[in-house]
Amino acid sequence: MAMDLNLKRDTLVRYGTLAVIGIAVVAPFLSGNLYIINVITLMLIFIIFASAWNLLAYSGQGSLGHAAFFGIGAYASTLIAAKSGISPYVTIFLGAAVAAFIGILIGLTCVRLKEWFLAMVTFGFAIIVQTITVSLLTPITGGWDGIASPRLLSPDIYGYQLIEYYSILAITIACIVFIYYVIRSRVGLAFSAIRENELEARAAGIDPVKYRLLAFALSAYLAGVAGALEIHHIGYITPEIFGVDLSFWPVTYVILGGLGTLAGPIVGTVVLTIIWDGLKLFGLTFGRYIIVGVLLILVIIFLPKGLVDIPTTIQKRWKQDTKGKNQYDLKD
Amino acid sequence: MAELEVLLQVLFWGLYAGCIYILLATGLNIIFGVMKVVNFAHGEFLMVGAYITATVFFLSGINPYAIIFLSMLALIGIGAVVERLCFRPILGTSKLNEIFLSIGLIYIFTNSAAIIWGDEWQSIKSPYAGITIPIGSLTVPFDYIIIMVVTAAILCALYLFLKKTKTGREMRATSQNRKGAMLVGINVERIDIISFGIGCALAAAAGTLWVVSGQVFNPYMGSIPAVKAFAIIILGGLGSIPGAIVGGLLYGIAENGAAYYVGGIWKDAVSFIILIIVLVIRPTGLFGESGD
Repeated sequence: MAMDLNLKRDTLVRYGTLAVIGIAVVAPFLSGNLYIINVITLMLIFIIFASAWNLLAYSGQGSLGHAAFFGIGAYASTLIAAKSGISPYVTIFLGAAVAAFIGILIGLTCVRLKEWFLAMVTFGFAIIVQTITVSLLTPITGGWDGIASPRLLSPDIYGYQLIEYYSILAITIACIVFIYYVIRSRVGLAFSAIRENELEARAAGIDPVKYRLLAFALSAYLAGVAGALEIHHIGYITPEIFGVDLSFWPVTYVILGGLGTLAGPIVGTVVLTIIWDGLKLFGLTFGRYIIVGVLLILVIIFLPKGLVDIPTTIQKRWKQDTKGKNQYDLKD
Repeated sequence: MAELEVLLQVLFWGLYAGCIYILLATGLNIIFGVMKVVNFAHGEFLMVGAYITATVFFLSGINPYAIIFLSMLALIGIGAVVERLCFRPILGTSKLNEIFLSIGLIYIFTNSAAIIWGDEWQSIKSPYAGITIPIGSLTVPFDYIIIMVVTAAILCALYLFLKKTKTGREMRATSQNRKGAMLVGINVERIDIISFGIGCALAAAAGTLWVVSGQVFNPYMGSIPAVKAFAIIILGGLGSIPGAIVGGLLYGIAENGAAYYVGGIWKDAVSFIILIIVLVIRPTGLFGESGD
């Protein structure tokens, strides 16, 4: 029975994935609206960002400063592309490598820290990086004014928005597939072993420091890719990118969708983007945040495993109900 | 001589900034001590306290220092509601949940404030603005001295409350051993609400003092002071109120020293650099026991 259910869920997931990719592929033709294409493009970028945060959380490390990696990737890629003239499609991966390098450095200070301590330190690093950007690095970063970032594609190319959209979709899928294989591999096993019980993981021969750093590097790399994509898509970068807001968004997406699951960040980002841009139609600005905040708190209290857990929760409820009735019948 | 004067001036600014951090950090510490919960949204209560003070001052024009009682009372109420609705249901679940929940609270409070009061920077003028008192070779704003006296008075009142009253003793018992407190008949859920309310009231007092000293405020001002307050209680030891006081003063001084000697832009960064250095050397804080 249980096997059967799992199989059903697996096929459900498989078809669900195909359906989502299918919708994403045809979306531009369904809407034909540039505004909506832009919203979906940003949504895809934030799926990468949220998944990156989630990968770090998967190893038991909750960061409150992921904007640092997002921003470092973006700045590094912008500067490389602007100075060398290489296509942004190449530099996003180079910029992300810089983010991964800084990620390892930050991870080194964090390997012994847990929970709030880790959250605090990562939060602090985002502020330190911002400060350095607007002080020591002002000659190359333009300080608070920011600098122009080379576009992914020149607007002269016919249909450049569509090409950009599909390339970002391809990169997003590649990132998700990469995370899928990481989680399924021995590395992913080590991550979850460390998360569940560090002492036991150590006893099983897993070096927690090594894998924690690896998680930091991978997560920072993917966050850097997301940041670089966003900035090359928008065409401008300012130090606001290191702000608290961008550190909190991935957390919100992942918690809403489901912490530690592959689908969580995707579901969370899609649902929140729909809510966010839907509420915009009603002219809400600050009100949107309040609704998101209430939603976040409700999910944490009533659906601790996030929106992806809804089917299981319903199934369990239903099972419990029937079981309860049977017992009652027997006793009777 | 001039160097020494500057040093003393910086030290004095630090003491004043430290007062606000001490109130925030002590509030966080009481909440942590009793509930073992960290409220990252603590700065939002400071912000609400600041706005309540400013609003009442604009409407009535009474001495802003007197409004401190009103803002503290209001925040006891708000804190109690937040505890009951948000933190109590997640007590005992994963510690990360508190951080995530706080993010939700930050969204709600900052943006409610932005809707009610607008999101521009504001400031008010204290009735004593411009009055300075010469102490030795220093000239010190009268407001700063009042703020230090008020902070000291609040801390003394808190000390007496914790030592002498029945509720205070129950709070200390709960923070020492929750199960033991339950066994001797203390209603720990009531103590939770009271502690959370008091913690928020201290944040509100910090907010009032922030406003009357003429500092600018907006709905988003809360997060950085809150995180610094948290850094202070990490340095001073989680749950230790004397640690929070010493840590708060040191932090205020270090930060203002850095702002003066390295440049104002480094003010926030320096406080985190201190925190990170301390945590790298001692992952559980300077005087702290393990966080678990």
